[in-house]
Amino acid sequence: MTTPEKVVTASSSNGAGDDAEGTVFDIGYQHYDGPREGRNRARLSVYKEGLKISLGLGRGPRAKVLPWLFIGALTLIGAGMAFAAITIDRLAGDGTAEAVGLPSHSDFYGIASILMFIFAAISGPELLCPDRRDGVINLYLVRPLTGTDYIVARWGSFITIMLVVAWLPQIILMTGLTMGAEVPADYLKDNWLNIPKFLGAGAALAVYSGTIALLVAGFTTRRAYASVFMVGLFTVSTPFTFGLAQEIGGTAGKWLSMFNLSNIPMHVNDAIFDSVSGVTMDAPAGEFDTWVLVSWYFLWTLIPAGLLLFRYRRLSV
Amino acid sequence: MESLLSVENLTKQYKGVVALNNVSFEISDGITGILGENGAGKSTTIKIVLGLLEATSGTAKILGETASENINIRSRLGYMPEHDCLPTNVTAAEFLTHMAELSGLPPSHARSRAADTLRHVGLFEERYRSMGGYSTGMKQRVKLAQTLVHDPAIVLLDEPTAGLDPAGREEMLDLVRKTHREFGISILFSSHLMADVERTCDRIIVLRGGKLVQSGEVKSFTEETETVYIVVDTNKDGFIGALEKRGVDVTEGDGGIYVEGSDESVYDHVRDALVDAEAPLRRMGPRRRALTELFEREGDDFSDLPEGVR
Repeated sequence: MTTPEKVVTASSSNGAGDDAEGTVFDIGYQHYDGPREGRNRARLSVYKEGLKISLGLGRGPRAKVLPWLFIGALTLIGAGMAFAAITIDRLAGDGTAEAVGLPSHSDFYGIASILMFIFAAISGPELLCPDRRDGVINLYLVRPLTGTDYIVARWGSFITIMLVVAWLPQIILMTGLTMGAEVPADYLKDNWLNIPKFLGAGAALAVYSGTIALLVAGFTTRRAYASVFMVGLFTVSTPFTFGLAQEIGGTAGKWLSMFNLSNIPMHVNDAIFDSVSGVTMDAPAGEFDTWVLVSWYFLWTLIPAGLLLFRYRRLSV
Repeated sequence: MESLLSVENLTKQYKGVVALNNVSFEISDGITGILGENGAGKSTTIKIVLGLLEATSGTAKILGETASENINIRSRLGYMPEHDCLPTNVTAAEFLTHMAELSGLPPSHARSRAADTLRHVGLFEERYRSMGGYSTGMKQRVKLAQTLVHDPAIVLLDEPTAGLDPAGREEMLDLVRKTHREFGISILFSSHLMADVERTCDRIIVLRGGKLVQSGEVKSFTEETETVYIVVDTNKDGFIGALEKRGVDVTEGDGGIYVEGSDESVYDHVRDALVDAEAPLRRMGPRRRALTELFEREGDDFSDLPEGVR
C-alpha cells in the first residue's frame, strides 16, 4: 500500500499564506471491508437501474423527452376527462356527465391503450437492447447475478413504470371526480369500487404490453427495430383481424378477431368493469364467454414471459 | 503459497471441436499471464473459471469455489472482457457505482468506492463526463476500474491492451502492475502479446490449440544467456576489428555488440581489445533472453522451452 501523499489542490487568495492551502491527502488504495450484500443487492440494483433507464434519469435530456411526454399526455387525458365531467355536472347538475355517457374509468384504457402500447414499444427496448449491443450484459453476468435474475429485475422495473403510467391518470380522474362532486364523501362511497377495478384493468394492460415489448426487445440489439416491430404488430393486427373477421363471420371470424393484439387486454378491461368499451364494441371476439377471453389474455402474457425467461436463461457472454 | 485458482483436467468441447484439452494449472498470488494465439483456449478457460460456461469435464475452482455452483463468489472476482462493454450515455461515476452495487456493495459504499477507483485509474477529473466521448484508452481504464471497484481478491483481464496505441498500452500495463504491487490484487492476464506478458507478469501459462504447453516463472523463461552485450562510447568499429583479430565472433545489434562468452578467456580478449582500440566502455553484461525470442526460435514447437515450475 502506498504512503500517504500530500497533494496541493488549491491556494487561498486571502493572503493568509501557506497555512490556508487546501490539501488532499492521497492515502493510496484502500481495501473494502464493509458489507457485501450479494445477489439480492445485485437484483435490486438491476431493478433500480431499470427504473432510471425507463424514465431517462441520470441520462441526457434526450433520454427524458419521450417517457415524460407520454406520462404527461396520459395524465392530461385523465385530468381532461375529470375536468369535462366536473364542468358538465356543475353546469347541468350532478350526474349529468354520467347520464350523457361521458367517458369515465371504464373507458379510459380504451382511449389511452394506444398511447400505452407506443410507450411500451419505445421504452421497453431501451431496457434490454443497449445492454446487449454495447456488451454491458457481459459485466452483469460475471457478477453475483444470473441471466434469470437480470431479466426478472428488468421486467419488474418496466412493469412498475407501466403500472404508474396506467394508474396515475385514473387516480387523477378519480381524485378530480371526487373533489368536483357536491359531496365528495358520498361520491367516494358510491364509486369506491372503481378503484380496484381500474387498478386491475390497468395492471392487465401494463403487464401485457410491457411483457410483449420486452420479448420483442430480447431478440434484437437495435432499439429502433424492436419499437417499429412492436408498433407494426399492434397497428397491423387491428385492421387486418377486424376486416377479415367481419368478412368470414361465424366462429372462425370470432377466433380470428381474438388475434387483434390491441384488444386482448381490453376484453379483460370489459370483464372487470362489466361493460363494453369503444374499442371492443364491434369485435366479434367479444361474443365469447368471459373465461375464454381472460384465458386468452393469460396465454398471451404468460407465453411471452416464458419465452423471455428462456431467452435470458440461455444467454451466454 | 495458497492457490487462488486451480484448474484440473479441464476439457471443453463445442460440437466436436476441442477448445480445451485436459488442461491443469494453479495460480497463486501475483500476476500470471495466460499466453496463446487466438483460439488457443484463453477466453474459454476464463469463462469456465467465472462459471459462464460449463466444462465438458474437469474442474475449475477460484478462491476455493466453483463459480457456477456458488455465484456469490463472483462478488470477490473482477473480469475485464476483451471487447466493448461500456454504455455510451452514462457517466463513469454513475456506471461504476452501479457496477459496485451489482457486486453487492450498498449504495453509499458503492458511490465512494467508484470515486476512489476512478482516481486510481486516472479518470477522477473526467468522472462526470458521458463515456460516449471517451477515447479508447480512457474506456480501457474504465473497464479496468469496473473490475476493481468492489475490491476483488483476483481479477481476470482478457486482452487488456487490445486496440491501444503504444502509449496507451504502456499506461495500461503500468496500471496492471500497480493493481498488484500497490493494491495487492492478484491478476490473471490473458494476452497473445508475449512482450506484454513478459513485462508485466511473474508467471506464465502457455496454451496452444487448447492444450497447456508450458507454465512457470517468467524469469525461468528469460534466464541469462552466455552471450555478453557490450556498448562502447566511441570507436566501435576499431573495437570490433580488435576483437576479430583475436578470433572472437562478434555480432552487432541494439546499438552495441554481442560476443559469445562460454569461454572465460573471452573477457581477457574484450579487455585487450578495448585497450587496443582505445574505446571507452559504457556497458557490459550478460544478455537475458526475451520471451518473444524464445518463441520465435522454437517456431511452432514449444517443447524445447525451459521446464517451468508447476
